Amino acid sequence: MGGVKDGSDQPVRVVVLGGGTAGWMTAAGIARLLPETAQVQLVESEDIGIVGVGEATLPHIRGFVEKLGIDEAAFMKATHATYKLGIDFRDFGRIGESYIHPFGSFGEELNGVGFHHYWLELERQGLARPLGEYSLAVTAALANRFTPPSQDDSLSSTYGYAYQFDATLFGPFMREFGMSIGVERHEGKVTSVDRDGESGDVLALKLEDGRRIEGDLFIDCSGFRSLLLGQELDVEWEDWTHWLPCDRAAAMPCTHATDDIRPYTTATAMPAGWRWQIPLQHRMGNGYVFSSAHISEDEACEMIREAAEGEPLADPRILRFRPGRRSRSWSHNVIGVGLASGFLEPLESTSIYLAQMAITYLIELFPEDGRIDPRDRDEFNRLVDMEYDRVRDFLILHYNATTRDDSEFWNHVRTMTVPDSLADKLELWRRAGRIEKYSDGLFYDASWIAVYVGQGLLPQQHDVRPALGNPQQLAGAAEKLHEAVKREVAAMPGHREYLQAEAARLAAAA
Amino acid sequence: MSIPREPLRRIAIVGGGQLSVLAAIAFRRALPVCEVVLVGQQPSPASFADWSPTALPFTNKLHDRLGIVESELILKAGGSYRLVSRFAGWGAAEQGGVLSYGETLDPSLKTAFAREWGGYRRNPTGLRQAGSLAEVLADAGRFAPPPPDAATPISDIDYALRWNPTAYRDLLIGHAQALQVQYVEGRVDAVVPGEGDMVRAISIAGQGQIEGDLFVDCSGPAATLLASQPGFENSDWSDSLPTRTVYLGETGAPVIALEDRVLLGKTGWTTQVAGRDGLYTALGVGEGVSREIALATLGVPAAAAITMSPGCAARPWIGNVVALGDAAARFEPLGPYHLDLAHRQLDLLLEMLPGCSIEPLERAEYNRRSVLMMEGVRDILALHFASQSAREMFGEQTMPGRTGEVIDQFQRRGRLPFREESPHLSQEQFALLVALGFKPGLPPVARHSDGAEEEQARAQFAAASQAALEFAPPYQQWLISALQAG
Repeated sequence: MGGVKDGSDQPVRVVVLGGGTAGWMTAAGIARLLPETAQVQLVESEDIGIVGVGEATLPHIRGFVEKLGIDEAAFMKATHATYKLGIDFRDFGRIGESYIHPFGSFGEELNGVGFHHYWLELERQGLARPLGEYSLAVTAALANRFTPPSQDDSLSSTYGYAYQFDATLFGPFMREFGMSIGVERHEGKVTSVDRDGESGDVLALKLEDGRRIEGDLFIDCSGFRSLLLGQELDVEWEDWTHWLPCDRAAAMPCTHATDDIRPYTTATAMPAGWRWQIPLQHRMGNGYVFSSAHISEDEACEMIREAAEGEPLADPRILRFRPGRRSRSWSHNVIGVGLASGFLEPLESTSIYLAQMAITYLIELFPEDGRIDPRDRDEFNRLVDMEYDRVRDFLILHYNATTRDDSEFWNHVRTMTVPDSLADKLELWRRAGRIEKYSDGLFYDASWIAVYVGQGLLPQQHDVRPALGNPQQLAGAAEKLHEAVKREVAAMPGHREYLQAEAARLAAAA
Repeated sequence: MSIPREPLRRIAIVGGGQLSVLAAIAFRRALPVCEVVLVGQQPSPASFADWSPTALPFTNKLHDRLGIVESELILKAGGSYRLVSRFAGWGAAEQGGVLSYGETLDPSLKTAFAREWGGYRRNPTGLRQAGSLAEVLADAGRFAPPPPDAATPISDIDYALRWNPTAYRDLLIGHAQALQVQYVEGRVDAVVPGEGDMVRAISIAGQGQIEGDLFVDCSGPAATLLASQPGFENSDWSDSLPTRTVYLGETGAPVIALEDRVLLGKTGWTTQVAGRDGLYTALGVGEGVSREIALATLGVPAAAAITMSPGCAARPWIGNVVALGDAAARFEPLGPYHLDLAHRQLDLLLEMLPGCSIEPLERAEYNRRSVLMMEGVRDILALHFASQSAREMFGEQTMPGRTGEVIDQFQRRGRLPFREESPHLSQEQFALLVALGFKPGLPPVARHSDGAEEEQARAQFAAASQAALEFAPPYQQWLISALQAG
């Protein structure tokens, strides 16, 4: 049994190190959901900048916001958020081609056969529309329309949504919320860490001004520096650069170039990586995620200046990162959340999800009396590893499933050896058009199909059943679905219109 | 460009029980261009999937897809409804509990997006708010199947069906005949190998050979086809599942009830399934319980005594032979898992329906998921034998898979780690563990749960119960009138 507390009724003293997105999400989450069990303190320094990961998010963020009891409209206003229905990937499989990976499905399973088999058959017969035209989320996104999904079993329930928000405002929003529910904030830099001579557990953080912040449980949200988990406890870093070579980003906000606000994020493949466009209410987030082994930081800055469509609102800022994760996210009485425990580039907007997921598991496995049971620690590490590994494989797919041979970068990722876990999935798809099934973690069938098909990786064979019926009948049924999708989308308000209506509703309520 | 698979030309299914006939119907419906030949013999009593008088709610969905109508089961196959299984004797004295079916009442979990994208799926506590509507109705003896297309106070209740296996098999044979399933009565006396680990044909004693592209082994625990495949391997479960002999009772007088029983007595476990054709009783005992004592415990004349050697095929699909039911996994009939497992495996095989030439990776993916399904059942059974009274009776067993962690997390935290391909949803498993005498720990967040919220949930449940009781007719009266009208 680890931990330094002796099982009394005193609340567990949780010390969060780092006041970025992960830090304040963690502090607010624990303070809100474990109000009597935990007493939360957070140490941050105004001198240390935040990475502000993830301007775009996944639908799961809504569960987090809701669980904390935060009003969606107020939250969106504070972070200048827009709605997000998916990501538009351009030039990934081949230059000039694009597809949307939606928060939603394509068509419906019929007689136990997945829709994509029917689509592959229609495609073979020359009767198929692009796959996205059978998806409500994709069609709505491309039409710049948005309305929340219905809560029933109908077509209008077949998608979800997330937010695109200003990450530099999200952290402060969570800070304000966290402090309003009792998180105690300490301004200062950590100069040393006190550890128990016998157990090696962390006892306290010492700040520059001599203050000593004691705790039972330390959450390392210090970003890439990983002050506690990495530097102090020396937990090994598993490096994934050989699969995900991008290790820098050049970020540059711009004005909107058009009146429309896209309800989706755009990821455009570039010669040495890809660039993002994330539409917020007041501006457009832009950035180039690149591999420093293939181009220099200056070149990347130059390219993002050229590529950005609106007026620059600042000079490009370079962020440096390393893809990978710690071999253990929870060691002794230190738990890493966010970049301190691992990093996967923002290609699928997973950064905030990964932090949120760690917070959720930590709360499920929280050592209520301050004593850490190694079984809970092992369970936490098992779950975090599973989540990271699944996302990793899915990201690698975006690079590996390509025909691009126009740069050294793309030649590398196209020909690299992928992890065995991904190689099997890929081969199963290539040979038989089937998806390896799982229900835990992130990215299910529809996501894999979106990327496979979107990047031009069609299987050699599909299920025979769609080929046995009358082709005209099959095409007719698919057309009916497409018409229904179009009707639903036509009835939706425009994205900007919906945002304005929500803002007006909030103002009226106030 | 992707091309459709070359379809299977002939599927031969070996086995004469209810499982093989349903499999034949399923294949004919899935692939009308393919011949389906059923090679049958009366299954042995040890083929539990063939003699099981009941399954779990999944089977109802499979029936729907295969055109087997519920009312037909009620009218022609002695069908009846189970809402709950009642457990007693597993924990401390006087302790018991009830297992009903279905997931949470939270509507946000029910949208199509949530199912497919997992937006809100995780429900770590699996907490039941305050019992289940199914339990309320079972206690009151009130129920009728809710009309499929209307929202009623009982529409959310999930149920299992029971039937008479012989009548059910006859009913299925009618469907199979209408679908032109061919039938050969006989015994397989040889397997004719083809290339590699493929089977070219099976030889039927005195009747020649039947060639096929795919062979489905529903032959019961002997696994006639699969066990003769090169590379066949058995995973032994006897360290975890201690039942060594199962006694099946003669069915007695008919019983009309919405509940079945799963009991732990003084010498072993007993299950009682209420059939319109009689009470199906099974007794399972461990090593060293004499036949005399067992028969006295059974309480009704014994129809069969079956020796158990539990385990599963390490790969239930080898070459072009796929085993289903007891040919794939052998375990005690402690609950309605045999047919449920066999039907889920059949559904998986339909999902992964191969072409004429079988893709090794497709087979590997089937085996991966199929083994997860079988081990899922093993783990659920192992939870029974980890209960306090079962440990005293059968001794300590090896905890298979992650069952040790599951019990630990449940008892300390009221948490159920997610498991792929489990026969039970997390909420069902929560109820099962309670019924087996495990006391759930309190999840950290529940320590501060708002009393008002809980009160509101309680009030909502009370109102829902009242509405359900008012809506549902007395079950026995409804059944009589339904049978008369039919």
